[in-house]
Amino acid sequence: MTDISSNMRQDKAFRAQRTERPILRLAALSKRFGGTQALSDVDLQVAPGEIHALIGPNGSGKSTLIKILAGYHHAEPGARAELDGEPFDLGHATTSRHDRLRFVHQELGLVGELSAIDNLALSHGFARTALGNIDWPQMSRRTTALVERFGVDIDVRRPLAKATPVQRTVVAIAAALQGWEGVRGVLVLDEPTAVLPPGEVARLFDIVREIRDSGAGVLYVSHRMDEIFALADRVTVIRGGRRIATRPVAELTPRSLAELMAGEETHTPTDTDHRPAPSTGSTPSVLQIRGLRAGPLRGVDLDLGRGERLGITGLVGSGHEIVPYAVCGAHTGPVSGRLRLPGRSERWTEARDADTLGLPMVPADRAVEGVIGDFSVGENLTLPLLRRLRAKVGRLHRRRESALVDDWIRRVGVRTAGPGARITTLSGGNQQKVVMARCLAQHPPVLALCEPTAGVDIATRLQLYDLIERQAAEGMGVIVCSSDTQDLLALCTRVLVVRDGRIAREISGRDITERALVHAMEGTE
Amino acid sequence: MTATPTRAVQRPPSAAQRPAPFLRGAPVRRVAAALSFRNIGAVYVWLVIVVLFSVWAPDTFPTTITVKQVLNGNAVAGLVALSVVPPLAARVFDLSVAYTMSLTSVLTARFLVSAGLGPGVAVALAMTAALLVGVVNGIVVVVLRVDSFIATLATGALVQSLITMVTDDSSITGVQLLAKPFSSIAQLDAGGITLPVLYLLLAALTIWFLLEHTATGRRLYATGFNPDAARLQGVRTDRLRFVTLVASALLSGFAGVVFASSVGSGSPTAGTPYLLSAYAAAFVGATQLRAGRFNAWGTVLAVLLLGTGITGLGLATSAQWAASLFTGSVLIVALVLTGGRLTLPAALRRRRGSHSRVGSEAASEGDALSAVDKETAE
Repeated sequence: MTDISSNMRQDKAFRAQRTERPILRLAALSKRFGGTQALSDVDLQVAPGEIHALIGPNGSGKSTLIKILAGYHHAEPGARAELDGEPFDLGHATTSRHDRLRFVHQELGLVGELSAIDNLALSHGFARTALGNIDWPQMSRRTTALVERFGVDIDVRRPLAKATPVQRTVVAIAAALQGWEGVRGVLVLDEPTAVLPPGEVARLFDIVREIRDSGAGVLYVSHRMDEIFALADRVTVIRGGRRIATRPVAELTPRSLAELMAGEETHTPTDTDHRPAPSTGSTPSVLQIRGLRAGPLRGVDLDLGRGERLGITGLVGSGHEIVPYAVCGAHTGPVSGRLRLPGRSERWTEARDADTLGLPMVPADRAVEGVIGDFSVGENLTLPLLRRLRAKVGRLHRRRESALVDDWIRRVGVRTAGPGARITTLSGGNQQKVVMARCLAQHPPVLALCEPTAGVDIATRLQLYDLIERQAAEGMGVIVCSSDTQDLLALCTRVLVVRDGRIAREISGRDITERALVHAMEGTE
Repeated sequence: MTATPTRAVQRPPSAAQRPAPFLRGAPVRRVAAALSFRNIGAVYVWLVIVVLFSVWAPDTFPTTITVKQVLNGNAVAGLVALSVVPPLAARVFDLSVAYTMSLTSVLTARFLVSAGLGPGVAVALAMTAALLVGVVNGIVVVVLRVDSFIATLATGALVQSLITMVTDDSSITGVQLLAKPFSSIAQLDAGGITLPVLYLLLAALTIWFLLEHTATGRRLYATGFNPDAARLQGVRTDRLRFVTLVASALLSGFAGVVFASSVGSGSPTAGTPYLLSAYAAAFVGATQLRAGRFNAWGTVLAVLLLGTGITGLGLATSAQWAASLFTGSVLIVALVLTGGRLTLPAALRRRRGSHSRVGSEAASEGDALSAVDKETAE
């Protein structure tokens, strides 16, 4: 901090025009993936002593931008980048840039089996004694000093897997800030609150503010508007790979920011016309669950009506995300309770035999549990339907298979080069349509969806909503298990909020609001 | 949420946007694709090898004797190679196949020579032993959940101890092994082509049909590519993996019987040299025809390629070391050409996004691609 006076002069200049001397300047940043444009001509400037938020819906190009900055992707030629006035090359992780641009990625990039000491040493090496072995006392002191700054108490020798989420986040930030003191630079935080329980978010914000107040620039990536208003000084909105606007947060209201994010002449999801009137409750049940216990779930009862779109939500770890897995018999681990499908049979089935009911599910993690990446669109679609396609001597009836695939591709509107194209050449949203189609093709009485719109852009999201609504209108019962309130607001006629393994609250019809959901999840009603 | 996507929702897909039907391209393009180097590169390499050796050893190589030698001499290797294809399709390594092969060869010989049993009974008993090896493999890998690579190495050691018990580490020979009904298993021929070539064709045909034309085959590949996703779609991955291990033990066991019949003795090390070549052929084969998938005809093609090269080297030079050099080189080149993709589990492959094709790169880029999807929607 030798150039405090020059800093102050610059600060004055910034107040006049904030972007005059940015610490990070990106111009004409574009990126194509194959024949498709992920980012086009994006400009971004981060001033020193500023928390600059980068906000945009899923699929807007936020992550691509960060990955280019981090040197993971190469930008298209023509992009310019300057750090504190010095140009640098986008596409190579040069050392000078590494010193000043620091990243805390969403997954934190930590090794859970290792301690805080080890994790910090991964990027900066170990202190050695004269003999060349690791100087553990010094390492311990060094690490403790780095972490203590943030007022979080951590046993630096314990494996991080045993630490709390906020402790891990702090270690990730400490690791990113190692050796950074006094250097004018930018800290990039990519959705750091995604893994934090709500109570801990405020502490993270204090830490981020402290970093800003030391004169660094902070680029804060998020898709949560409340965080922007709580934390950021300026915000850049990107949508569809383009920069839509950069505004001081003070000039914005949640509504005007929502309009920037969603595009003009739109409504916020709260007053969407997708949400139906509350159900009358007189419809017959298609699924009944009694006393479901699995993982953190401690006895869940629910009745799903014909054509009902039932939301299940809760905070991470509440157990809500287990319900669909248990219903479909896909939960690994002990399960107890009973369930039955009244439309099909009056018999109760033990929950541990739920797989015999054969209810399909759209799993939460598409890449890991949903699609088979090496399979084509068609092969992915027909995987659970193969029994239906059997000809003589167990042969697969290829003609019937391709007819089935063509039919469903058309019905759900999958955009693909063809049924033989690899599923991974499709966008997330279109992959999700394929996953959805293969569930629907089984004509189930109940469909369980987990995070149905994760990594899906807004246009496809609306198409998926539409598809789900049409299916429900035909009498299918739909369980929407989601931590994305937009899904619940847009889709559900009734929402069950799970807290500590029990259904804490049931909200239906017009009472389903973002506010009500959040309060019910956190138990702050 | 925006005006544009709403329009996209309402617009029904027009005829022009409708995707092309399954594998129904223009015939010319299909033929061109089928004959491309990407698809059947091994055939072109094989042709080059044939021309090369015909020039190098013009008197000995381009003869019908060589053709017969390559076919007859590699039938057993082909059987062993095919035996590892179904497990590999389900991403299970069965490294015990070589030991199973030795086991059936010495057991058949033992039953025929010392126990004085008839050939039918001897072969049946030996095959039962192979079945048992397969079941043990299945129990250790599937039920006890030991990684197949190390588990089958361990069961292979157990089988080897059994072999030593039976043979005292020396080959079993006897006139019964050379007598007519048993020796016919491998030595009966039509126009110089022996029966094992027919077995190879039958085995390849069966595995090809199983993997590519049945639901079971599709499920096997699904198990190999992404067991979690497959399980969620009702594929019984454990049962499939168990069955592939039994199948590989049976087929390699049969190869052992054929081997005993063709050389007229039961050798405790009969299978050992076939292990590397079997995996080499299976992996090279996976780069052919159905790129990225272990398949029957690709494997047969690879066996012939390797067999031709080794036979040619044997005729052109007298260097003993050339055969292994050739096998190793072909394996490395083939795997490099496919970017080493085959050996990596799916989870690792995703992290290498930036190195692989645009498609798989995009897969790891849900964010970026969704943006792209939106672009196309507009």
